[in-house]
Amino acid sequence: MAEHVGIFGGRIPAEVETLSKDLKDLDKELFRKILKVVVSAVEGKDCGEAMVEIGESGSLSEEKLSRIVSGLFKLLREALRFPGSSVKQEGFKEDLRELRISEEFIADFASVVFGNRRSALDAAVTQRGPRLPSLMEFRWRVDVAISTSSLARALQPSVLMQLKLSDGNIHRFEVPVSKFQELRYNVALILKEMNDLEKRSILKIQG
Amino acid sequence: MAAIVKETQSIKEAVAHINAIDANKFTRLLSRILQKLHLKGERSFSEDEEEKLQTALAMEKQALHLVLETTSFLLEQAVYHNIKPASFKQQLENIQVAPDKAEAFCQAWATAGPDVVEKIRQRIFAPKKLEHVGWQLNLQMGQSSQAKLKAPHAVLDLGVREEYESEHLQNVFVEFSHQELLEFYNKLETIQAQLDSLT
Repeated sequence: MAEHVGIFGGRIPAEVETLSKDLKDLDKELFRKILKVVVSAVEGKDCGEAMVEIGESGSLSEEKLSRIVSGLFKLLREALRFPGSSVKQEGFKEDLRELRISEEFIADFASVVFGNRRSALDAAVTQRGPRLPSLMEFRWRVDVAISTSSLARALQPSVLMQLKLSDGNIHRFEVPVSKFQELRYNVALILKEMNDLEKRSILKIQG
Repeated sequence: MAAIVKETQSIKEAVAHINAIDANKFTRLLSRILQKLHLKGERSFSEDEEEKLQTALAMEKQALHLVLETTSFLLEQAVYHNIKPASFKQQLENIQVAPDKAEAFCQAWATAGPDVVEKIRQRIFAPKKLEHVGWQLNLQMGQSSQAKLKAPHAVLDLGVREEYESEHLQNVFVEFSHQELLEFYNKLETIQAQLDSLT
């Protein structure tokens, strides 16, 4: 690649442009604390308490703190868009230098983006992307109907399933044995196709 | 075996009407009722058909209804006890069903009986039942928060029908990553092992 395209691809967001000014005289420890909060936020965790703590330490005005947090948040989210393997650490650091951020802060930032916590961060971001509900909890039961109003000796097994989805809905339904076999067969089929797909995409679609 | 039906007044009346029906016509009647026996709530004959039957069998509306209901009832009892054809014939004769009609019942039951029992056995009533399994496999290439993905993921479409709402199938969509689907599959395997241990 002849040209190096910066993280923002040419258009730097306003919050990030003003970062260098706000970060200039910032105490290192305080920066690290703020960075930690921003990382938690990206992971989707609740940071209310931590933010209040930093605000109460008194050294920063509420306004300045907000600016720094939103700038760092935006910067981190953009940096995380690209898989760790396709961005070179040096190039990334260059981008940050161009934003006139001091060297020590750049090192801290790089350790978040390229460090060993990166895969956990990526997983958290994927989880929060747009998606259909996923399965949070799966409970099941196998019943055998001994007798019914229509049959004195039925002896018919069936499966009762309860799916709790990520959108909060709970679906409970009965699955006749024949449908269950169909479900199992189809899931096995999808898994096989996924395996085939993953083998092929490693070979053909280069990151 | 205990009697599968008590000889009540209503039964006596019905049997009298049944005995008066022509043998061939009765055989056809039996086979149609058996066909629809496992379908809950569905009438064996439509309104039109019932009118035609009234003429064909020279019966009044009430008499015809009695015959149809009683015949269905006798067959439902046969299903409930999973009675053997010979035993069935005997019991019918015990409530004064004419030999030729008892024989017709016996034949029809011997032929179509096991099938009907099986269909009814598989009929489970539950507030909701899984009726349809569909799926789609996608390769996600990117999203607003992540570029250059190569993540396969599957969407399962489970069609669930409510017990009393036969019109409309509710679609439950669930998304799975590879790992999530594998975990789900392992649980299905556990269920299968349970089912296998029953037979």
